[in-house]
Amino acid sequence: MAAGPWWRIGWRNLGRNRRRTILTATGLAFGYWAVVVIAGMADGIVADMVRTATGILSGQIQAHAPAYLPDRTLYETIGGNEGTDVPALLAAIEREPGVLGAAPRVYAGGLVSSGATTVGVLLVGADPAREDSVSRLTAALVEGHLPAPGTRELLIGSELARQLNVRVGTELVVVAPAADGSLANDLFTVAGLYRTGIAELDGSYAVGPLDAIQALLVLDPGRVHEIAIRIADPWTAPAIADSLGTRGVTPAGVPVAFRPWTTFRPELVDYANLSAGSMWIVVVIVFLMAIFGVANTLLMTTFERRREFALLLALGATPRGIVRAVLAEAAALGILSIVLGVVITVPVLIWWHYDPIDLGRLFGDFTMAGALVRPVLRTDYPVTMFFYAAGALLLTALLAALYPAFRATRVPPADTLAGR
Amino acid sequence: MRHLCIAVLLALASPLHAQRTAREIVDHVDRLLRGNSSRGEITMEVVTAHWQRSMTLAVWSLGTEYALIRIDAPPKDAGTATLKSGTEIWNYLPRVDRVIKLPSSLMGQAWMGSHFTNDDLVKESRIIEDYEIAIGFDGMRDGVRVWEFVLTPKPEAAVIWGRITEEVRQDDMMPTWARYYDERGDLVREITFSEYQRMGGRLVPAVMTVVPTDKPNERTVIRYVRLAFDVGLEPSFFSLRRLRSGAE
Repeated sequence: MAAGPWWRIGWRNLGRNRRRTILTATGLAFGYWAVVVIAGMADGIVADMVRTATGILSGQIQAHAPAYLPDRTLYETIGGNEGTDVPALLAAIEREPGVLGAAPRVYAGGLVSSGATTVGVLLVGADPAREDSVSRLTAALVEGHLPAPGTRELLIGSELARQLNVRVGTELVVVAPAADGSLANDLFTVAGLYRTGIAELDGSYAVGPLDAIQALLVLDPGRVHEIAIRIADPWTAPAIADSLGTRGVTPAGVPVAFRPWTTFRPELVDYANLSAGSMWIVVVIVFLMAIFGVANTLLMTTFERRREFALLLALGATPRGIVRAVLAEAAALGILSIVLGVVITVPVLIWWHYDPIDLGRLFGDFTMAGALVRPVLRTDYPVTMFFYAAGALLLTALLAALYPAFRATRVPPADTLAGR
Repeated sequence: MRHLCIAVLLALASPLHAQRTAREIVDHVDRLLRGNSSRGEITMEVVTAHWQRSMTLAVWSLGTEYALIRIDAPPKDAGTATLKSGTEIWNYLPRVDRVIKLPSSLMGQAWMGSHFTNDDLVKESRIIEDYEIAIGFDGMRDGVRVWEFVLTPKPEAAVIWGRITEEVRQDDMMPTWARYYDERGDLVREITFSEYQRMGGRLVPAVMTVVPTDKPNERTVIRYVRLAFDVGLEPSFFSLRRLRSGAE
């Protein structure tokens, strides 16, 4: 603050009416607090949505044969008809930094039938032990047990169980077109039920052990459609997918396409962008409100100091100097407010990150953009908003000071000093 | 004046007349391989990019409402049977000894891996009710006098095709091909008929070849090996019990 006499004057002027300075700074600081905490909550909701949406089944990165999407035909397994060394591929993927787990899967459209009811489902062949580290499907088990490898057991959604009117232990007929053109059909036993809260998942998925589903579909053990990958930070998915794709983790001659969630769930990216964009509206509203409060305070301050300004002008101070003094005072106020704002914001961000506000008692869980959202307002750290809000606050203080500064220069020195 | 009246009346009546004729011909062609009731033996060869297989099928039908199809070969699928009763389709799976009814959401799925859908089994028989039929071409093609019929779905008809065209030879009423278009007007598949021969006392195309337009290297070829008509089947024949027992 010792950059020049005007700066020093501005800073010292703040100390002349400390109570008012503290009140104004506190107001601005709470504005800052509100913007950053709301942004933190919005980021938290987005992060939670991404985690839930990609964590339940899809994973944050998926590996397929390049031609598997969008048709998802039965034959487009990784490595084509010959398949690939799945354990080696899984191990290579898991060596990538940031990867927490990888799980192989096969998929096929099929029918499950019990009694007179038949429902079309997506049959999923999965390795329950590996799913544990990738998806939350196994954690969503509400009844029974996970299908054991080698057995003809199925894990089905609670809604599907309701439609079929079956329970744990009931036999189901499973029918699907097999890879050799035949109509695969076999009896499977319901081993367990899961409930994710997502209608599509609970109503139309049937998950069996990888080997049993492969056998049903006449697919060799080396043939899988997908490897789902879980990573530590969802936002690093594109970079890790890129690295996996270019580093050549797959055996020679086996083309694999690694896709991050940002490409297979673009609506989540859209939502994140929308959420970030709408934060600017909050910023504008909050600081627009603040701008008038600060302008009022500064207008009062300058009015009180009319005689002082008149004296300065009479002694030869330029109007530019007066403006600088008032702006310096506003800038000093802004910086003080930012410091105060950071002091009251950071602890709350940390607190609500580790002990989030749970609105679960007021509202139940709900789904948004196909992702289950728990009404828990866990704040994330909105790093960019942290700085942008500070910038906006400083700008607010300076804009608010423009008019009072202008008024200060228009004080008529002679009349004012004469008390007229 | 009287002559003019008659001429006008004739002019008015003739499209109506032509429409009825077109309907009759398409209906006739539709019934060719079915008769009132029929009993046939079919080989079905399916070629796809990934596999090819040949099946032997036994088929019973009654009118447009009932059909029963049983797979006799290959051994892996032998005994698998499909019953069509009205708009419902039931499958019997001998391996698990269960009968399952196909949910309506899956009617568009391939039947036994072929290029026919379950819908084809159900809906093809309703062509006369579901489509407006017009003559699109009447004349010589490759030295043969043919009609080309254009079938447009009626507004209220729940059908998957946007348009069907079918060519029929005029002198023996034999179909030569049928083309199926989607709602955008793009060709989806073509069925060609060939090897016209007498079976069960009437001239029929013994071979039907289906080629999906987007996969020109794939096809399903249906060949009638034996065919008998008016074999005296009753609706009660087409029961779930019969589906299970294999129909003999």
